[in-house]
Amino acid sequence: MGPLNGVIVLDLGQYLAGPYGAMLLGDLGAEVIKVEPVRGDAMRGAGMPFLGCQRGKLDLAVDVKAPEGLEVVLRLAELADVVHHNMTKGTAARLGVGYEDLKARNPGLVHCNTYAYGAEGPLSDFGGLDPLYQATCGIEYEAGPMAEGNPPLYLRFGMTDTANAMMSAVGVLAALYHQRRTGEGQDLWTSLLNGAAVFASDVFLVEGEPGPVRPVLDRNQTGVSPCYRLYETQEGWLQVAAFGPGQWSQLCRVVGRPEWDRFDTVAARIDARSQLEPGLEQAFRARTAVAWQMMLADAGVAAEVSIDTYDGEIPLHDADNERLGLVAEYTHPTLGTMRQFGSLVDFSETPTGPFGPAPLVGQHTRPIMERLGYSGEEVDDLLARGVIYEPGEDYRWTI
Amino acid sequence: MRPSAGPLRGVRILDLSWGIAGPVGVLLLAELGADVIKVEPPGGDPFREQPAYHVWNRSRRSVVIDLKHDEGRAAFVRLCETADVLVETFSPGTMGRLGLSYQALAESFPRLVYCSVPAYPPGHRFAERPGWDALVQARAGMQNEQPGWRPGPVFLHFPAPSMAACFLLASGVLSALVHREESGRGQHVQTSLYQGVFAFTTMIWQEHARSDAPFRMMLGKTYPPGVHQTSLFECADGQWIHAATMNGRTPTRTPEEILGLDPVDPMALYGDPELRARHETDLRAAYLRRNCRELVEEFHQAGLGAEAVTPMSDVFTHPQFLANGMVETVEDPELGSTTQIGVPAVLAGTPGAIRGGQPRVGEHTRDVLTEVGYSVADIDRLTGAGVVEEGATWAP
Repeated sequence: MGPLNGVIVLDLGQYLAGPYGAMLLGDLGAEVIKVEPVRGDAMRGAGMPFLGCQRGKLDLAVDVKAPEGLEVVLRLAELADVVHHNMTKGTAARLGVGYEDLKARNPGLVHCNTYAYGAEGPLSDFGGLDPLYQATCGIEYEAGPMAEGNPPLYLRFGMTDTANAMMSAVGVLAALYHQRRTGEGQDLWTSLLNGAAVFASDVFLVEGEPGPVRPVLDRNQTGVSPCYRLYETQEGWLQVAAFGPGQWSQLCRVVGRPEWDRFDTVAARIDARSQLEPGLEQAFRARTAVAWQMMLADAGVAAEVSIDTYDGEIPLHDADNERLGLVAEYTHPTLGTMRQFGSLVDFSETPTGPFGPAPLVGQHTRPIMERLGYSGEEVDDLLARGVIYEPGEDYRWTI
Repeated sequence: MRPSAGPLRGVRILDLSWGIAGPVGVLLLAELGADVIKVEPPGGDPFREQPAYHVWNRSRRSVVIDLKHDEGRAAFVRLCETADVLVETFSPGTMGRLGLSYQALAESFPRLVYCSVPAYPPGHRFAERPGWDALVQARAGMQNEQPGWRPGPVFLHFPAPSMAACFLLASGVLSALVHREESGRGQHVQTSLYQGVFAFTTMIWQEHARSDAPFRMMLGKTYPPGVHQTSLFECADGQWIHAATMNGRTPTRTPEEILGLDPVDPMALYGDPELRARHETDLRAAYLRRNCRELVEEFHQAGLGAEAVTPMSDVFTHPQFLANGMVETVEDPELGSTTQIGVPAVLAGTPGAIRGGQPRVGEHTRDVLTEVGYSVADIDRLTGAGVVEEGATWAP
């Protein structure tokens, strides 16, 4: 199912950014084969973060450092349309599964090695975690906000891992499209740093000096102007976005400050923040967030209640989210019924899903080996010698 | 416009989008080689007042067509004859009211990949709600998930839902194009800002039935901020460093050695909250004795991960950003010489490229209409009637 039905992706990655990129391709319908070390993906111990980026994959556990194990991966590369991973620079080549090695077996291959920093340059040998790129690309500075005297603030969603994963999926898909039109494969890369750059893409220099920037966040972290910010109410918080024609004036009327409609441009309202916001803050405390949201909606003013998800409970059990496929439920071999987000993109002709759980280490080793032409005896022999692995009594991971 | 050598060479995209997710998603496709025509309303896309549009609107041509006018719609349909992809980010029903819904166009153009990116998915009870980025942050619970400096939700200055949706847009369009190579047919691709929020929840919103798993509650929200927040330190020069010390290498020195502190046993710290608190105080004091850049350098030399916390515009001086080809000079028709981010995915065989700065409003109206068969007289007449506009500098 899905638009990539029939596309085979070999996922040689570990941790987050690499596996998540391959998972996104799987969500779009590709068959993703996770090639996992026999000692397990180092991320398995982290639990949730591992499960979050591995769903729906088949899993072959193999020791690539053994010559017969290497041959298994090379044979898999012959089957694959795409090879995707996030090994540090040079690691894949040292293991004998670099682009040149794989291309020799499959010239039409699309190959993506995604990095922390980049392919060449002073830090290209380094791996790196998401916080480094939130630091570099201004996210922590802005979220503080440091310009207002606060310390930097780390955003806990792992934003730049996500950006890297998504950017690599976009790059792979573009290369795959080219491959489908011409038969030509190719090598591509991106990085956490480059992915994070998309988040910082609104920034530019004019003649070498910083160009105009978006208005900064206030020190209390509520928003950027009296008409685009959070207000605390009698119960709960309300996000206001009074941008549209007449919305500011309606907002002033609804909260009982009609005289403030004279601040009739965004710039005027930003200039008058210190005058307007204390009065608005006081006014909003008179009713609940839900009451304000309804009153403002009736007056044509855009606003939303800023909800507490109770650690994801609310969105994962929302009836509309379930009905529209935004929530996926599946059964994990050791954890039982699981839920996470479902479809991120919907297609009219090639619907995606259903989505499956993250695999156990080597859960599909045997069927994949058979597909590669190995006989039952050969598989047993390689299992006995620890070149490949499938789960048994000795399974030692929680997941 | 510079010619394309990218993998999407020859793919034409009609870009009706505005806001953030649409233009940025289209930007990714434009610089992978697609021929993008931005179709703007008379007077120009009102979002052009956002300075960011000098970046987000680059690498495409601009035509101004009044889609509310019959002849404008006819001109747009002529463009559809030459297009592979249409991208729109209007609220649900808007394209239908113009007679340009997916169903209406798919009949005549079965190969068209039609991509819609509203705030919420169609059919959702919030689908009619207004869709500014922070409203979706609020409604999806993202503001509440982020610990800040006070209890309660915090406004995410970085437009997270839109920024995820831009990638979803690009991957949705591309996978539909891949599928079209096989099936010969286009389709309707939809994502939303709301789904963009979900894309950021791989690590936090998951539920499973096994109650004795050690990580069942691991990444619940904490206040004040935890985990990586604790590896941010202020330095002597007032700069802050993010010392996320794992980086996949075997370090030659420990952070304590670099900072002149006594060695510590991580396991002992783990087991003893008092010891941990004392160590934390020592660390904060030690960082305050050193300058940020100097420390970053020393961490890197020792094979440890660290970066200075900087404003966004400083990224253009980061040595690795330069090495990645991510610092590009772009000639902007209105601003002149600008420095902007480069193309974030690097394809060795068919490299992408920036094709040019943000076009003026309607800069290419005449060229594009000529390409689809309009005569000089036709174009003059449509311009005179205000159905199309050409070549203006944008003014609010």
